[in-house]
Amino acid sequence: DQVLHIVPETFQQVQHLQHLCSTLMLDLWKPQLLEDIRAGEDLHIRVPAPLVQEVKDSLDQHMISYKVLINDVQELVDESVLKERSQRQIPEGYNYTEYHPMEEIYEWMTQIEKNSELVTQHYLGNTVENRTIYYLQISQPSNKPKKIIWMDCGIHAREWIAPAFCQWFIKEILQNYESDATIRRFLQNLDLYVLPVINVDGYIYSWEAERLWRKNRAPYMNGTCYGTDLNRNFNSSWGSVGVSFNCTSEVFCGSGPESEPETRAVAQLIEEKKSDILCYLTVHSYGQYILTPYGSTTTPPSNNEELMQVAQKAAAALMEKYGTSYKVGSTSLILYNNSGSSRDWAHMIGIPFSYTFELRDNGTYGFVLPPDQIQPTCEETM
Amino acid sequence: IPGMGQKYYLQFTTEDYRSRENAGSCLATVLYPKKKSPPAVNIKCINNKDQKQIQEEDNRLYRKLKHQTKPIIGSNIPDIFGNMEPAFEPVWALAVAGSSYMMWEKSTENVGYFMSQVKSVKQWMRKDDSLEFDYTILLHEMPTQEMILCHMRLIWLPGRPLKVKYTCESDSHQLEDGSGMESGSAAGIIHEKEENF
Repeated sequence: DQVLHIVPETFQQVQHLQHLCSTLMLDLWKPQLLEDIRAGEDLHIRVPAPLVQEVKDSLDQHMISYKVLINDVQELVDESVLKERSQRQIPEGYNYTEYHPMEEIYEWMTQIEKNSELVTQHYLGNTVENRTIYYLQISQPSNKPKKIIWMDCGIHAREWIAPAFCQWFIKEILQNYESDATIRRFLQNLDLYVLPVINVDGYIYSWEAERLWRKNRAPYMNGTCYGTDLNRNFNSSWGSVGVSFNCTSEVFCGSGPESEPETRAVAQLIEEKKSDILCYLTVHSYGQYILTPYGSTTTPPSNNEELMQVAQKAAAALMEKYGTSYKVGSTSLILYNNSGSSRDWAHMIGIPFSYTFELRDNGTYGFVLPPDQIQPTCEETM
Repeated sequence: IPGMGQKYYLQFTTEDYRSRENAGSCLATVLYPKKKSPPAVNIKCINNKDQKQIQEEDNRLYRKLKHQTKPIIGSNIPDIFGNMEPAFEPVWALAVAGSSYMMWEKSTENVGYFMSQVKSVKQWMRKDDSLEFDYTILLHEMPTQEMILCHMRLIWLPGRPLKVKYTCESDSHQLEDGSGMESGSAAGIIHEKEENF
């Protein structure tokens, strides 16, 4: 099969082409409808192999010039299927500048562990719909005990740029480990625990059903209503402010603190390792903020000065890359009041550095951030 | 302001919605009244771009849209991946401008909005000079985090303010006794500077 490119010059030519396409039932690629064929505009038709000669003869007869756009459609199809398959197998072919469905992220985690000595995949827990939650540990083998930096992404399903960032982050660390002394020194003393997608059910739901879904997929009210806002479900002044007790709300805090399996999975691990965890980071979008505790009260945390200093340094470094400006401050002061957030909880149980990152953008595209912004967002945040 | 409401004085810079280039600066006052109604806004802006150039660009866009013989129809702009077909960008930009009117009317001191996505757009062909579009739009409401579905009818003629009529689905989620249900429809005329698409 071939695809021909024709630019009809006269109305007569248009008519002949329309006649030809309809009698031979040719496949119009551009435009989609016969009546939209116009003089001076591109026409792309796919001609089945047995008809190619006949069509070309007819065009020659009517002095209609054409170009062969695609010489062999089947070849192209075969090529692209092969490319797809190979891309999905090797993380080296993994495209970090596009958004990936959960299936592919699971495969990616398995591949990453296989390909790198520094990475081990760990089971964290299960979601409401019984899917597995995994985190990746990046650790340089050594016999001395190391402090931990924890980062999770995708607590809110629609914030796709967040899991994209977690994947990018791991890629950057692994790719540059050999060549970058800073990264090596970092890993000499610290272990990185990265959770690419906490809210697996929600993330899948945002791909398959409702792009702007936020919560998890826990059924309430006899299955007439779904979803708890996981970031209102932690045991930090749970249910006190900035929440709803109604399942239909986007900020429904659940039936009690840690009522959701996803919340419990994270909380259990962090609780277990809390004496070793130096820093808790949770990545969201959008708004361009680095948020410090607390959301539930304006009383500053005990180490507020240091928290702010570090965050301001981070924001300044971020801005250097592409000029993107991030605002820094406590959630209750610069954003809005909320209780039950993971970041507040982490700080309350004693983790000194606890931050929420709200990545790009400022509202222009919001949650539906175009993929061409994945790279700059990740680079500057890195 | 006792008895009236809260008044805010603002000074800010603006940037082009797409290119993020600096577009000028504005001085504004915003008064949030005690009872529920849109904030009263007074605003003066200095545009970096030349007025004539803005007008020319608007006219160029207008002529291109008027030239079409078939009504523009689209959905999910941008799509779930954040991609937007270049052909639909002007229609999206018009939606942004029209949505700002809806968002202004619905805003209170504690509730704000962003336009998330154009779910659908359909052009109504008019016999007169104006361009008319029917939109379904998703607004992201803060801090409730709700997505509000609105129907918006927009009429545009360069040189004149946009005309917007809308209804939004009533939302019964209240965090505080603030925002109530907005299902009003209003023929609105925005007093705004010409938009640069």
